[in-house]
Amino acid sequence: MAHEDIPVLETERLVLHGPAPEDYPKFAGMFGSRHSRFMGGPLTEYETWMLYAAEIGHWRIRGFGMWVIADKKTGDSLGMTGGWFPEGYPTPELAWMIWPSAQGRGAGLEATMAARRWLYETQGWEGAVSFLDPKNYKATDLARRLGAQLDEGVKAPDSREVVFRHPSRDEVDAADAAANALLRPQIEKERQ
Amino acid sequence: MSPYMSSPLTQAPRLETDRLILRSPETRDAEAVIAFLLDKEHSEGFGGEDNRGDAWRWFALNVGHWHMHGYGYFTVALKACDTPVGLCGVWNPEGWPEPELGWVVFADHARKGYGREAAERARLWAYQDLGLTTLTSNIVPSNEASKALARALGARYERTYVNIAMGEDELWRHPAPADLATGV
Repeated sequence: MAHEDIPVLETERLVLHGPAPEDYPKFAGMFGSRHSRFMGGPLTEYETWMLYAAEIGHWRIRGFGMWVIADKKTGDSLGMTGGWFPEGYPTPELAWMIWPSAQGRGAGLEATMAARRWLYETQGWEGAVSFLDPKNYKATDLARRLGAQLDEGVKAPDSREVVFRHPSRDEVDAADAAANALLRPQIEKERQ
Repeated sequence: MSPYMSSPLTQAPRLETDRLILRSPETRDAEAVIAFLLDKEHSEGFGGEDNRGDAWRWFALNVGHWHMHGYGYFTVALKACDTPVGLCGVWNPEGWPEPELGWVVFADHARKGYGREAAERARLWAYQDLGLTTLTSNIVPSNEASKALARALGARYERTYVNIAMGEDELWRHPAPADLATGV
């Protein structure tokens, strides 16, 4: 069933909520610049706006989609994460993007773990893949911290991308525990 | 506890005319819209699409357009059976000259006057409920059928310009709310 309302998820430091008009400027800053070069960008302002609108509409059609990641304390938008399955994709993808100014805090890891768990627990996903440009080291590093591994037996929709396969639903508890251990020092540091 | 539970997606209101319903785009309308967009002979005014993936994406982004602006394209459906027969509404993606009243009737349902019936209702809604004070329609220069409907709606050719998506395009301006009310 499609959602008329986008669920809100909460983690220790973050809130994941539906993309709103107020969150658009950060998205536009990403896709209007070279920071989006591993995600098909840069795009024109028209293409960028249409992509953002499509990410919102994806929720109604698929019942899942991309959340905006917000800092729980400040409300600042840090990036997006969630499930992405436009027509033409061979399989749904667990995807994320972190705005350049918000990188280095583990927000992508913390948010994407929560998104993955929600997709597994409520949407019937048995597993997940991410399609990544192998030159996008920040993304491939994050995929590995999520416990995902390169799967050379499968093709990504874009020939420049490779497939990372995430721990399955049965394996995700152990993967999350390992990722949480990696996050702990940063979370403690921010508390002080 | 989080103060949040969910983020509601903005819905279109439900409007009625004698024969039609104008309502939110729903997933069950997707195939009719995709078929229309892939039929480039008839969908040029909407940009047309080359493949199912891009047509699907257009359907999704129209839902998002409602969420971003509080307006977008309604699904126009027959009141009797809810069959989608076209799209009509107000369109204004980034880079657009100004909010546009747009319409299309799918090929199987053409020549029954549905376009005018839907466009008049959507225009009234845009003026009365959205509070817009002017409206334009962007028409591809070769689309004589759309120009004829624009004239019937009282719109007048204003200028030719380059549209960010469509290229060379004509901008037609509709009567203002006050002129509609007095029938000028």
